[in-house]
Amino acid sequence: MTGIVRIAALAAVGLAAGAGLGGCGSPSEHRVGVTATDSSCRPATTELRAGRLTFAVTNKGTKTTELYLYAAGDKVMGEVENVGPGTTRNLTATVPAGDYQLACKPGMEGSGVRTDVHVSGGAM
Amino acid sequence: MIVRLLPNFLIGLREGLEASLVVSILVAYLVRTGRRRQLPPIWVGAAAAVGLSLAAGAGLQLTARSLSFRAQEGFGGVMSLVAVACVTWMIFWMRSQARNLKGDLQGRVDLALVGGGLALGTVAFLAVGREGLETALFVWSAVQAAGSGPAPVAGAFLGLGVAVVLAFLLYRQSVHLNLAVFFRVTGAALIVVVAGITAYALHDLQEAALVPGLHALAFDLSHIPHLGADSLLGTLLRGVFNLSPQYTWLQLAAFLGYLVPVMALFFRPQRPARSAVAADGPGPVRRPTEVHASR
Repeated sequence: MTGIVRIAALAAVGLAAGAGLGGCGSPSEHRVGVTATDSSCRPATTELRAGRLTFAVTNKGTKTTELYLYAAGDKVMGEVENVGPGTTRNLTATVPAGDYQLACKPGMEGSGVRTDVHVSGGAM
Repeated sequence: MIVRLLPNFLIGLREGLEASLVVSILVAYLVRTGRRRQLPPIWVGAAAAVGLSLAAGAGLQLTARSLSFRAQEGFGGVMSLVAVACVTWMIFWMRSQARNLKGDLQGRVDLALVGGGLALGTVAFLAVGREGLETALFVWSAVQAAGSGPAPVAGAFLGLGVAVVLAFLLYRQSVHLNLAVFFRVTGAALIVVVAGITAYALHDLQEAALVPGLHALAFDLSHIPHLGADSLLGTLLRGVFNLSPQYTWLQLAAFLGYLVPVMALFFRPQRPARSAVAADGPGPVRRPTEVHASR
């Protein structure tokens, strides 16, 4: 019983830590808008600087979508799901220089509508 | 309006069901066994999870930040695994109580429950909290979008509302079941739910690359019409049983690796209690020694 209570305390601390982290993101992080529709996935720019990136994806389609950032071999660098039509959600990931793909997945299925993005230079 | 309302409604429904069904079964169990005074810890646990999630979600979404992807997925995965442990404990705790319910043993049961309140509150907290952050982020994103149209926020809250109503109806239905049937049905259903949560947790951990095998798919039915994650059936399967139309091999192994042994343990013949549970309902002819051997 006490074990379970202890686990609960840990979980509560975890949730609270999650709340705390929200307030202290690095001010130098770069934000990139991404517009998703049922058939397209357009970042405001495809040339990005390495570091902590936040993609703010706005769903202008009619289906719920997800946004993935893939490295080579479809390694998941970041993902945000449950982007309902009309809403905007954020995907934050720390991204080193290299070639990546942004994938929007209208209907939250399949391999998605992909756009190549290039990340260069920049201090981590 | 409607094209934007429905998808948001389905997300709200799914997330709401994921959070509320385990709690509704727990509440039904306590009411059904005459322990309404054990309910407050459940409400406190659930409310704490909702409050913390909304606060954390607001801190992130409304300041346009997000946790790093790996942190969020890892957090969700670990929370889900802890929820698996707790709800499994709850299932077998309910089972062990099932045979002690009647007559002169009532006092002993109540004694055992003194410390049980905290444990029950914890189960409720985890059942609601494990997906709470994701739900809160979705809710806040819908609230934020209200400036450019009411459909997302209306859909989100309608979905959550319908989920709560469905959970309430489930509670209402289940408290009328014969007690022995109630224990079997809710126990078996919870085991399927928890097997689903186990697979779900592994998917989170695989996406966070804390566990390998994300692209080794056992099956993918998401392209089948009306089964995908954004369809009504897909929503209900995921919301009620945590089943997704696409599993990796590791998820499938975890699902079965939980489901089969736990189901077998749950339905294993149990030592007969000193007094019979069977007094509760008509049912087939039961001698006390057969009560728990009958499946």
